[in-house]
Amino acid sequence: MDIKNQEKLHTDLLTMNMGPQHPATHGVLRVEIKTDSEIIAEAIPHLGYLHRCKEKHSENLDYRGIIPYTDRMDYLAAMNMEHGYCLAIEKMLGTEVPKRAEYIRVMMAEMQRIASHLMFFGTYAIDLGAFSPFLYAFQDREFILRIFEELSGARLLYNYIWVGGVWNDINDSQLKRIEKFMVELEENVKKYHSLVGENAIFIGRTANVGVLTKDQVYDYGATGPMLRGSGIDWDLRKTRPYSIYEEFDFNTVVGVGAKGTVGDCWDRYYVRVFEIFESIKIVRQCLDGIEEGPIMGKVPKVLKVPKGEIYLRTECPRGELGYHIISDGTKTPYRVKVKSSCFTHVSMLGEMAPGQMIADFVATIGSIDIVLGEVDR
Amino acid sequence: MSSTTLTPIKETEGLTLKKWFLNIYRAVTSVSKGMMITMKYAYGVKPVTIEYPEVREVLPENSRSRLYNDAENCISCYQCAVACPVDCIYITATKRDKDADKIKTSNGTAIRLDLVQYTIDTALCCYCGLCTTVCPTECLTHTTDYEFSQYTLDSMKYDYLAPDIRSWRDRIVK
Repeated sequence: MDIKNQEKLHTDLLTMNMGPQHPATHGVLRVEIKTDSEIIAEAIPHLGYLHRCKEKHSENLDYRGIIPYTDRMDYLAAMNMEHGYCLAIEKMLGTEVPKRAEYIRVMMAEMQRIASHLMFFGTYAIDLGAFSPFLYAFQDREFILRIFEELSGARLLYNYIWVGGVWNDINDSQLKRIEKFMVELEENVKKYHSLVGENAIFIGRTANVGVLTKDQVYDYGATGPMLRGSGIDWDLRKTRPYSIYEEFDFNTVVGVGAKGTVGDCWDRYYVRVFEIFESIKIVRQCLDGIEEGPIMGKVPKVLKVPKGEIYLRTECPRGELGYHIISDGTKTPYRVKVKSSCFTHVSMLGEMAPGQMIADFVATIGSIDIVLGEVDR
Repeated sequence: MSSTTLTPIKETEGLTLKKWFLNIYRAVTSVSKGMMITMKYAYGVKPVTIEYPEVREVLPENSRSRLYNDAENCISCYQCAVACPVDCIYITATKRDKDADKIKTSNGTAIRLDLVQYTIDTALCCYCGLCTTVCPTECLTHTTDYEFSQYTLDSMKYDYLAPDIRSWRDRIVK
């Protein structure tokens, strides 16, 4: 055979496994990729390595005992997970939550969102080869975790938001510390954005990579920053306000394709980082509006939720989280189905991957910001 | 099988001399801007990490670490075992003789059951704190002691009636 005549050479796609122990897949995600040298022809995500039967466990637990399990779904945004679950149960019970508890809840949820986005910022920089932004982001995240630890007693899996209110009260010195920290954080995040987001190398790695058009995100049902990154103005806190979100004045951040096309990795990065500023706004309004009062509503000692079902969704750092709870009137729920946003987003990898270089694929996985605990539950 | 050759979707634009210099300019300015921030952190910011085994952080008071049960105040009500979502608390209690002396907890609740076994499997425990909130005599509490690793799983089962575990009441490794 004539080697110079390349067209007659037999070539084939190479099948490879990326993960489950690959550092760039953020946990235990295995992606089966078929490649032609550096270019990906097909990517199939395989899930289930972190499956812990959360939904089945819930059927055998009382309503309060499920809260620690919801923490363990998205362990980087445990407050938001608890918040959604408690809102659903309260709606079924018809419990009225005291105003102070609502303010504390929203404040905690927004601080958790900041912590989660800082974590995204750090790990995404690591994915693209920059190490020090990770350490800076952790420095700020540490303060938030410290406040959470003082309030709830744990750093990651809080069990802080309870059905009817919150566990512990927040005191004035903690409120002052948060207020002081928010000023610091605003400056820091601006600094971090100029360090990473405006960097020419970072823009070169992320702009025009992993583009998702409006139609694609609609088809797959993407939510959260993935949806807003593609230029769709949809935020549940704004469009379908739950808890006391309608009282607050903030904007939704929407990707506009500032460095490339709309819906690329840079846009998703931009949405997340600038959501931190919006969350800071909400936390400040909470600090102004918080009032004295009780932190627990009237909840019976043994929780028996009336017969019926509910679907309630909340806006979490990674997208919409939905709880479908069916109660048969006993101490334990009949079914607790969780609709996770990350699960949807992982399935979009197959849509984005074909034609990408492997290095760009790593950037794409990072921009989705998945937590495998929430994908598999 | 047919041969496959793929082309990347990311288009690469043609490089002109002007673009080449512009790229260099952009890279140098943005990298130097980033290096300025990095340098500010490298010098002039106090270290934020602690050197762990030598320096130990003091946890907040309500931090949820190792559980401790003050067995003398326990009335064997089983509420903690019921509330536990992972079922890691094992309690055995027998009915107290009628002739025996009447004893009370420190807050005045009468103890009607003799505690025979109170074991918590710390390896199973998820540190959610639900058991401590339901305790009527507040004898079951979380301590701030976070260093209690063991060599075997069996030794993670803490029997709170055994003297060696009972002496851990205020233990914090220093």
